[in-house]
Amino acid sequence: MKIELKKFGEILVSRPAGREAYLAIEAYLTKGIDADEKIEIDFEGVKVLTPSWADEVVTKLSAKFNNIVLLNTQNSTVQATLKTLAEYSGLKI
Amino acid sequence: MPAELPSQYYCATRDIFQARLDNMVNDLLVSKKIGDGNAYMISAIAGEIGNNSFDHNIGSWPDVAGIFFGYQFAGDILSVVLADRGLGIRATLSRIKPGIVDDQEALKVAFFERISGRAPESRGNGLKFVRENIKERNMHLKFVSGDAQILANQETEIKPFGQKIHGCLAIIDLKI
Repeated sequence: MKIELKKFGEILVSRPAGREAYLAIEAYLTKGIDADEKIEIDFEGVKVLTPSWADEVVTKLSAKFNNIVLLNTQNSTVQATLKTLAEYSGLKI
Repeated sequence: MPAELPSQYYCATRDIFQARLDNMVNDLLVSKKIGDGNAYMISAIAGEIGNNSFDHNIGSWPDVAGIFFGYQFAGDILSVVLADRGLGIRATLSRIKPGIVDDQEALKVAFFERISGRAPESRGNGLKFVRENIKERNMHLKFVSGDAQILANQETEIKPFGQKIHGCLAIIDLKI
């Protein structure tokens, strides 16, 4: 299962927006999926990402699923955000 | 009473701020003055600071709700300015860490410690992201709250501001 973050926007910055995105993901994309199934999170097309938005989506998905793969993480804000989440939010991917 | 703000700089709600932040990203990319990577990063930093104002003051604004948000190129410097008339860092953090003695200590906790101003929600990574990427991108940050300020670039210094302000003021500079 692949989650394309650009479908939530190119500029992903606030916690409320991240929370809304996660609720939509839970309701429409990952509903009924086994915890061991591979989940690909694709950052292609994302221009601006912050820890606030990503903490509500990436951290929560990583807590729920055991096999998360991150794709297209070259954007500087994506890299910096993932580093911050690993350091301060316990993100382990 | 606070001064009247020109409407183009006043974001009464988070939605208005988000729309203007989107515009800033596009303006910076079109200008081609600072490179795409810097445009994205300074927008992420501004997004974290601006959204913090809404996250921590919603339902508690002392007088004026919302934030000031502006940006401009002046000579070879891009400056982004955000300000609010909210509770400020010390009052926000004192809700979950009552022993904070002054505004300087509050800034130190906010920018360096793993702590959430909205505990029990697990948060508190935004200003660390700001500090680390200001350094990484060789930007300059002046962040004022109460009567203290933090000046961040390659080094970080916390010191008195010389006067007391309501809420928070952030000025992010990037040399072209």
